[in-house]
Amino acid sequence: MKVIACYNIKGGVGKTASAVNLSYLSAREGNSTLVWDLDPQGASSFYFRVKPKVKGGARGLFKRKCPLDDAIKATDYDQLDLIPADFSYRNLDLTLEQLRKSTSRLEKLVKPMQSDYDYLFLDCPPNISLVSENVFQAADVVLVPTIPTTLSVRTLYQLLRFCEKRKYRHLQILPFFSMVDRRKILHRGMVEDPPKTTSGFLANDIPYASEVEQMGVKRAPLATYAHSSRIADAYRSLWSELKTRMDSLPT
Amino acid sequence: MQRPLHYPLANSDSLPRWRDRLLQRLPFASAPPETYQVHYYDSFDWRLFQAGKVLTWQQQNADSQLCLLGTGDDSTRTAIHLEQEPPRFAAGLPPGQLRQELDGLLDLRALLPVATIETRSLASRWIDKEGKTRLRLYLEHHRLVQPGGKYSTLCKRIRVVPLQGYAKTAKQVISVLEKELGLCPQEQDLLNLALASMNIIPGGYTSKLAIPLEPELRADAAMRRILLTLLETMEVNEAGTIANLDTEFLHDFRVAVRRTRSAQGQMKTVFPPATLARFRDKFAWLGSITSPTRDLDVYLLKFENYQNQLPEALRADLEPLRTFLNRHHEQEQTKLFRELQTARYRQLKTQWRRYLTSPLPKRPATGDARGSIGEVAPRRTWRMYKRVLREGRAITPASPAEDLHELRKSCKKLRYMMEFFQRLYPAKKIRALIRELKGLQENLGDFQDLEVQIHSLQHYSDQMKQEGDMTPRTELAMDILLKSLETRMQEVRDIFESRFQQFACKSNAKRFRDLFKPEPGPKITP
Repeated sequence: MKVIACYNIKGGVGKTASAVNLSYLSAREGNSTLVWDLDPQGASSFYFRVKPKVKGGARGLFKRKCPLDDAIKATDYDQLDLIPADFSYRNLDLTLEQLRKSTSRLEKLVKPMQSDYDYLFLDCPPNISLVSENVFQAADVVLVPTIPTTLSVRTLYQLLRFCEKRKYRHLQILPFFSMVDRRKILHRGMVEDPPKTTSGFLANDIPYASEVEQMGVKRAPLATYAHSSRIADAYRSLWSELKTRMDSLPT
Repeated sequence: MQRPLHYPLANSDSLPRWRDRLLQRLPFASAPPETYQVHYYDSFDWRLFQAGKVLTWQQQNADSQLCLLGTGDDSTRTAIHLEQEPPRFAAGLPPGQLRQELDGLLDLRALLPVATIETRSLASRWIDKEGKTRLRLYLEHHRLVQPGGKYSTLCKRIRVVPLQGYAKTAKQVISVLEKELGLCPQEQDLLNLALASMNIIPGGYTSKLAIPLEPELRADAAMRRILLTLLETMEVNEAGTIANLDTEFLHDFRVAVRRTRSAQGQMKTVFPPATLARFRDKFAWLGSITSPTRDLDVYLLKFENYQNQLPEALRADLEPLRTFLNRHHEQEQTKLFRELQTARYRQLKTQWRRYLTSPLPKRPATGDARGSIGEVAPRRTWRMYKRVLREGRAITPASPAEDLHELRKSCKKLRYMMEFFQRLYPAKKIRALIRELKGLQENLGDFQDLEVQIHSLQHYSDQMKQEGDMTPRTELAMDILLKSLETRMQEVRDIFESRFQQFACKSNAKRFRDLFKPEPGPKITP
């Protein structure tokens, strides 16, 4: 099982849209796929029409009082399951802090699912915290949607510096440009000459598109209602590139 | 993934009427009816079935999927989108996990269609306030699509697919189906139903011998039983050989012919001499007509291995040899196709079958025919074992290659005898001895294969020059390949001694003695 975290310190950059659309594409290819909505806002759960409620809450799951298996809900799509968000995730940092080996609790929790799923997508909350450290420990890939603006790139550098300091050697950090508006000079310039990072930016970017906003109305992945749109194509290309990059990872 | 539940309905039941009954009781949303076909595939020798797997290719709603599913407790599922019918070999699939898994399971065998089932389905979903599906239910009419486009009903049923995390909904639906409507869940495997209706036994073919024999059976009757099984093996592999579906059809066909010839030779004291002489000639002919195609098959199968023995810069230069081999393979395959259509071949089969199924003579001409197989088989096997030891011990590092070939043939004959009669001995003991013999055979087989390959490649090189296929770089590549094969042959030759000693060791000798050495008969005093 490959663990892909959709993460950015900054909010509103397209983390949830990436997690929902890429996980859907993965499942469509026949991969057994799981999404864990770790964000207490529960946007992924909303898109998949699943109630943002987990029995026992964050405490129950992370203290292993409630089995993770019981929290899994099948989505409306074959091969695609979801662990919904829960409002108690807002205090996840506190919950984790009270536990021993507080930075590797998430990794331990998902480990038994290795043989059940091919891909696990973590839809992460913004901010950099103990939850983020758990995510970095558990993930193979951190997929960072980045809007081509100064502030967004700044947070990307913050993340890279943080991971370098903590020496997450197993981790591949893959930023890609998200919500790209080519009419804007700044966006165009940055996409054509991306900032320098260790692993570089993924070649495929996601344009800004109103179809993504429609996800909230349709409450479904893009490809189900705008299959032939430019943005659906962009996600397909991104997924294809991501798989190629992951193939080079040790299993 | 939750397991679906199946509720069988009567074939005369109307699915729309059942749907109405369900809608009266449960808050389902119904979709328009749809019809789709599922095609099942396996190899001729049921490798997927034997591994507990099912391969399906399904076209539904403009979506085509090739899917490898586990059966029983194995709930694994590997799938890819595939617009076209699956290719004949796993190597033709796009790279990925499915190709890797199928490659491992099928090896050289082709994927062949096993059955096609057409399903007419009325789908319903339980949808909650959020618009989320909590359970799926299908009313299904499954029909087997027979060759010629005829259909026959396999079953009608309700399939309930509970979704993970929505156990309460599932409980509610199951309660209505079982308590209110009086239905009973039942495990139903569509492929098994389809195969049963076509009188096909899955796993029914294997190239391995396991012929039941009773020790007290008359030796000639036992041999007829064995030879009849071999004739059937030839016949079932005939169509695949002619159509060249994969190389294993011809391989299995040839093994059956070789086993037949070996049985005729090693158990000759059981058959009437004149009849035997007549059929031995016929089977020798059959063996000879299949050899050229098989030889070329082997070279083509080894081709990548040949290329890997060359420096990378020269690998592509070997391609003209592949073209040459393919062209000759095609010619030989055509010849083989013609030979297997001849009256000579047809008569061989008919006459052989007639002989094997004719009534046993009350007073057979040979003494061994009257004896019991439990007495004759070990005696003949023991004789062959002693021959193997004699020939093996006579081999020195200076012995010519022919001596090793002779020993190889003797080992093969011994192996066939042990396999023909394996049911007469304790399974564990005979299998262990076959394993020991196999170790020696592998060494001898590698040696001969390499020697034959070297000679053939030299011959092909001359032929390619005559046919204008040879370039200087290809000649260079083939020379390097020949040198590499010669080196390998010497390595194989060098380990023969240790392999033979291992086989001929005291403990093995005792095991062979215990199993096969006949008890000394009572002394006859004049």
